[in-house]
Amino acid sequence: MRQRDATDPFKLKLASIVLLLFLVSYFLPFFLLRENRISPEIANGMGALDLRCRIFLLLPFLLVALYASVKGDWLSDMLLSLAGTLGLFFPMMVLAIVGGRLSGDASSPSRYGPASGMYVYLTAVLVIFMMKPKVKAYDLIGIALVIGSVLVAGYRGSYDRLGLLLEARNFGTRLNQELVAHIRLTLISLAISIAIGLPLALVSYQSRRAEKIIFPFLNILQTIPGIALLGLLITPLSTLSRTFPLLRELGIKGIGNTPAIIALTTYALYPIIRYSFTAFSSIDQSVIQAARGMGMSPSQVWKLVRFPLATPGVLQGMRVALVQTIGNATLAKLIGGDGLGVLVFEGLGQASVDMVLLGMGLIIGLTVISDRLFQILITLTTPRSLRAKGVGNG
Amino acid sequence: MQVNQAHPILTDTHTFLKVEHLVVQYGTIVALDDVSLEIPANRVTVLIGPSGCGKSTTLRCLNGLVGIERGTITYLDASVQGLSQTDLRRSMGYAIQSVGLMPHLTVEENVDLVPRLLGWDRSKRKERVDKLLALVRLDPEIYRKKYPNELSGGEAQRIGFARALGSDPPVLLMDEPFGAVDPLNRILLQDEFIRIQRQLKKSVVFVTHDLEEAVRLADYLVIMKDGKIVQADTPEQILSSPKGEFVERFLGPERSLQRLTLVTADRCMEKALSGLDSDASAHLPDCSNLTYWQVDEDGAPVCGYTRSEGSIIQKPITSAIHTVQIYSSLKDCMAKILNSGLSAAAVVDERGRLCGEVRFEAIQQISIL
Repeated sequence: MRQRDATDPFKLKLASIVLLLFLVSYFLPFFLLRENRISPEIANGMGALDLRCRIFLLLPFLLVALYASVKGDWLSDMLLSLAGTLGLFFPMMVLAIVGGRLSGDASSPSRYGPASGMYVYLTAVLVIFMMKPKVKAYDLIGIALVIGSVLVAGYRGSYDRLGLLLEARNFGTRLNQELVAHIRLTLISLAISIAIGLPLALVSYQSRRAEKIIFPFLNILQTIPGIALLGLLITPLSTLSRTFPLLRELGIKGIGNTPAIIALTTYALYPIIRYSFTAFSSIDQSVIQAARGMGMSPSQVWKLVRFPLATPGVLQGMRVALVQTIGNATLAKLIGGDGLGVLVFEGLGQASVDMVLLGMGLIIGLTVISDRLFQILITLTTPRSLRAKGVGNG
Repeated sequence: MQVNQAHPILTDTHTFLKVEHLVVQYGTIVALDDVSLEIPANRVTVLIGPSGCGKSTTLRCLNGLVGIERGTITYLDASVQGLSQTDLRRSMGYAIQSVGLMPHLTVEENVDLVPRLLGWDRSKRKERVDKLLALVRLDPEIYRKKYPNELSGGEAQRIGFARALGSDPPVLLMDEPFGAVDPLNRILLQDEFIRIQRQLKKSVVFVTHDLEEAVRLADYLVIMKDGKIVQADTPEQILSSPKGEFVERFLGPERSLQRLTLVTADRCMEKALSGLDSDASAHLPDCSNLTYWQVDEDGAPVCGYTRSEGSIIQKPITSAIHTVQIYSSLKDCMAKILNSGLSAAAVVDERGRLCGEVRFEAIQQISIL
């Protein structure tokens, strides 16, 4: 029986976690100011904001406290939604207000950005959303409204002095190029490792001897650190390209994108082979037995039974490889390749935190979006009966 | 009283396929050692024996799932002669213990599999699926679109059986098809199997390790041990004259009781004395040991009466607990008779209506044969 009342210990626990996070964020610097891109930061706590802003920032947490003390599922769900939405809205508006103040005053610091306090604050908001049993339509509407107002404020120039945006503007079209280069590196590496990995997985599935060779080899490859592998590739590749001019014309050199693609492909092989192998070998043997017994030819057993049953697992492997490759592609810059790693490592070199943050932010965004898209693809290609295993009365 | 032949005799049929001197080896282990066998057409051949005796291997040699070391399998029946291996398999329905339904296909697509492989046209296939689901008594409207993970064990077995019958093959190979269901469902599935087999008259090769199941279903019983055939004959013959100590031990001390499982109720069913009123003494002649059944308006028995030492004893009848079906075994009838203390067991049809009785004397007479 469902019973939620004021003393629900689960609600209380979650609410106290959120309130604790809020308390922590209050004592940390909430936003920071800089004279220029590399000068030391001037941290500001919430105390630097005027009283109105502080009350607004407190409001979501008052709502959470209220949530912990009310009865009724519907009411507490609404309270959470409101708290979460406002918890997203107010920090954005605080940034807009601070930004507006900076751009109006020529003598003030030239750039600003969120600081640790705001990150903790937003973490608390994330926890609020995670407390909801299910995302409802009004949550999405709330988030859309927040994004809308942020866009309006941005259009009116309130965020012009935000460090991240200043860096992005400095990069200009190069930012786009690196983003495209990053995606290209990822997709090429993924495609090659699928082209190599799938056949290897099938060979391992077919023969135990191949499995005994391939998997230990893969395990060793997986243990080599990424940067070491990049370094290791320089010598053989430059020798090759010096010996065969044709390869040089094709762009194969000891440094640049080629070794990066080779290294990324190598790392992506592991999840692809491992997941595909497991997907094929976990097919119920009796199903194959029955399929053969009913008179399917070997190719029909593959086409009608093995492939459809293994597809979800194989796609899961590709998804893991994709997410991993997007992250690893950052390292390409270290060996002269392109991609968003350029922002991260140049930012590190120039001690520009904003630049590093911009690069990392884009990489994380790219990862999350492609992960979601792939998840949708997997759901679409998985037969209904295989989506939720163990559902039903079987 | 007329006692029908307990089983269709084997002499009025021809040999469907002939296995000669079959040897199968898995590595160094000899799985089958010089097995020779003749499978009769339109009859149920049951292979039985302890685990590892080679019964499943024999079955899987028949449709080429297991490679043969030495020996020959000759398909004498015109319907399967000269077929390629995949065509041969498609002409042999195949049902296995773990059912092996394709988890990504609906019930309809599963049952439809072999007809689809054979390239039947769509309307004919749909008709076939409906007919097969009805045959195994699952409502097509409810089950057609279900997935295997939504079925109970018994339902999955039925679908597996329907799938084996998919293209109406002349042969059915069944490898412990009821092995994974509980005893109650198992008996129901056996009843269904007997009903369907009487209707369709397939050539069936059936593997089991359950003696009672074997004796119930077999027209021709093959007992195997360590890759060899120990005795092959009609179950009646094997039960009355087991060959050697192994067979005797395998059949167990209940051998004579097992013989009753050979015969189904309809074989010695007689017309029942029944009426709507409860005045039994008017219906039961003095000094007889007949049973009078009181039935309700639908014809379902509600009470049984029999004379015993001058007085009339009366037993209320609960359907299923005190009644038997047409395809129940005589062993089952015997148990019901002993349970109720009446002189006969009531036989009811699918709707629970009284359609006859099996008398104690009839069972006695069968045992004498």
